[in-house]
Amino acid sequence: MQVIENLKVKEKLYIEKLENGLTVMIIPKSGIQKKYIIWGTNYGSNDSEFVVPGEEQVTKVPNGVAHFLEHKLFEQENGTNSLDTLTALGVNANAYTTNDHTAYLYECTDNFYEALDEFMDYVQHPYFTDENVEKEKGIIGQEIMMYDDYPDWRVYLNAMQAMYHNNPIKIDITGTIETISKIDKEILYKCYNTFYNPANMALVVSGDFKPEEIIEEIKKRLVDKKSSASIKRIYPQEPETIVQEKIEQKLEVSQPLYTIGIKEVKEANAMENKNETVRKCIAMEILLTLLFGRSSELYQELYKEGILFGAPSLDYEFGKNYAHVLITGQSQEPEKLYERFKQQVTKFKQNGINENDFNRIKKTIYGRYVKEYNDVQDIARMFLSDYFKGINSFEYLEEIDGINVEYLNQVLNFVFKEDKMVISIVKN
Amino acid sequence: MQYSEQELKKGIKLHTIETDKFKTNLIAVFLTTKLTREDVTKNALISTLLRRGSKTMDTQEAISKQMEEMYGASFDCGLDKTGDNQVIKFYVETINDNFLPQQGEELLKTSVEKILEIAFNPYTENGGFKQEYLEQEKNNIRQRIDGKIDNKARFAVDRCIEEMYKDKPFGLFKFGYKEDLEQINAVDLYNYYKQLINSCKIDIFVSGIINGDTKNIIEQNENIKNLQEREPDYVVPKAEAKDTKQENVVTQSMDVTQGKLILGLDVNLADEEQKYTTLIYNSLLGGDANSKMFQNVREKAHLAYVASSSYLRYKNNIFVNCGIEISNYEQALELIRKQIEDMKKGDFTDENLENSKQGVIASIKTIYDEQDTQIMYYFGQELTKAKVTLEQYNEKVEKVTKQGVIDVANKVNINTIYFLRD
Repeated sequence: MQVIENLKVKEKLYIEKLENGLTVMIIPKSGIQKKYIIWGTNYGSNDSEFVVPGEEQVTKVPNGVAHFLEHKLFEQENGTNSLDTLTALGVNANAYTTNDHTAYLYECTDNFYEALDEFMDYVQHPYFTDENVEKEKGIIGQEIMMYDDYPDWRVYLNAMQAMYHNNPIKIDITGTIETISKIDKEILYKCYNTFYNPANMALVVSGDFKPEEIIEEIKKRLVDKKSSASIKRIYPQEPETIVQEKIEQKLEVSQPLYTIGIKEVKEANAMENKNETVRKCIAMEILLTLLFGRSSELYQELYKEGILFGAPSLDYEFGKNYAHVLITGQSQEPEKLYERFKQQVTKFKQNGINENDFNRIKKTIYGRYVKEYNDVQDIARMFLSDYFKGINSFEYLEEIDGINVEYLNQVLNFVFKEDKMVISIVKN
Repeated sequence: MQYSEQELKKGIKLHTIETDKFKTNLIAVFLTTKLTREDVTKNALISTLLRRGSKTMDTQEAISKQMEEMYGASFDCGLDKTGDNQVIKFYVETINDNFLPQQGEELLKTSVEKILEIAFNPYTENGGFKQEYLEQEKNNIRQRIDGKIDNKARFAVDRCIEEMYKDKPFGLFKFGYKEDLEQINAVDLYNYYKQLINSCKIDIFVSGIINGDTKNIIEQNENIKNLQEREPDYVVPKAEAKDTKQENVVTQSMDVTQGKLILGLDVNLADEEQKYTTLIYNSLLGGDANSKMFQNVREKAHLAYVASSSYLRYKNNIFVNCGIEISNYEQALELIRKQIEDMKKGDFTDENLENSKQGVIASIKTIYDEQDTQIMYYFGQELTKAKVTLEQYNEKVEKVTKQGVIDVANKVNINTIYFLRD
């Protein structure tokens, strides 16, 4: 087992790649009652076209299969549902699907190993029948309809539609009622067998554990499976351009919701290598806070003018084949806000970044990273999702020291391009 | 973890939670006052005005920059409805001095001073709040009031509560009412604020790696010294008798795809101790994935994705919550009624009961690991004047019996059925 220590947050990561290809990461937290385990596969809503290892032809499945699988995996052949079994053990179990991974998890204070039996059993033993697949369509249908009424989900998804032509990041994680209607048990088994191979998965544990002990407990519960070759995933070609600058939807809301999106051109740029990804992400967090955080000139001015009343959420999201900025909030005049934002970007580019402001916000971002290490859930989730992006979460704490104003200016000019900006609005 | 409390002055308490489990220190200041129709909007306005500027940090920008300098201290103000009280809350979370890149910065001391200044020494002009800030915050509150409709699930529950508590304090909306805003002026509001901070219940919480100075710093703080002793003016939540009359059925139309069905239940408890049983009752009815609601409404009938219930212990109400297809209203309602009836008949196993207890106990244990939940737990204890340690709490849950749950089930009545549809 490899041990990586971070002296800033005084935590250690134990990491090992098992013989069957599974990566296990352990972040011990002594004296904490809560134990958290999360098991993820590098398979999300983006992956609907791929070549199964050993096959030649391309497999294409309807949108929403990864999420459908997440729902169905809890079902056991003996008629029980693992979510019920885990709940009965007093553990808090759940699962979720993102665009690049699916994860199963539970948190508990007691009965960790009893729960581990069930947990590792159900993730490794799918049981799909025509009947139980049909049944799930009703429940997922209600979930889809629930999201249709969430203005914040709509404004996000529409921003994606405005930025991306073909990239599957634009599709709804759940699929639609139409696409899920085409899902059957054969499709589910095929996707399960392809993507739930240990070589495509990672397991993270955080809590009061002895690393040598917990890893043995995990190994004991693994079924015998051979590590498969890597899966070829096919993503459509994405043009550099945006689809449309403005997109609007009507929904009953008190005040318009907006998302400003900035699409980053991923291909053929000189800035990309692994370390660079982390550095760029840190730089983006600092930049966005400088531009539109609570102490920013733009936020203060717009607040005084009554254009907004809350700091927007500022996100930089990225994956293997996409990266974008999302600025989301509520405003009476989102279009005006958008224009002002663009002007502010231009101003920043002209004047460069102020050194004092930069140093202050860098401290802020450092503090934000440290706070991530308070809770076993935050820790485990962070290590898992970063892992699927090829990142060890400690790198953020290491790389932040080296970020300087010159680099920030460089990133500013590279990412914040006016012809890559969109605005999505949801209003009455 | 070590909890201790100390009365700084009559009506003002300092609570310290010493723990080295976290990378952060969390400081909270709560101002608790009676919820009344007359003052609800004023209190809401004060909660947002105070974060606009204080004596030495006269703009929001100055406050933000100060927090950013402190390694991104998170500063937040909130407003809660807790039983028949309104609680104005201030939080500052900073990273602990042990995790700073360089030593010698006293973040804990600075954050205590800053939060007390924001809460008790606001920026004023001409004997009142700054006019410009007041006008902007009135707009802010107006929009929050209008914003009620944005989260349909939350809106439906709030509307159900409003129906159940017509003309009673608990039926009030915590952000107040638009029609009040016009008459509020900067000087009167400031005078009201001064009266509020000298009559409300004040609780200060400090959680984290605390050194001996912390109590001293707070006791010696000028803003604390300037506060008067008081007989705090708030309502101690108690088990109150319910007089459930006929079921009140309310249907409201809005632009929604999915219908939100809420059942507001009265739990007519004889005494406070039955609250622990009610917790288990709720867990069995709709509290988790093994509950009747989840199993029968979601998993067997496939009527909903969300099918749950939650227990509002300060008011002894349970809210059953479902997102359903609008045409399934009758069917869903009938099925929910059946779950409530089945609970009365004791239609659950000893195993169900045991599992629910373990689930509740497990969630209580996690309180040790969450700084903010820990503070809310001790604040709840403080408010209800029932000092129960986490260990005692778990023992009480452990003692809940099947018969006890059936007794509670038979004290449950449907007060209001609320349906939000298209």
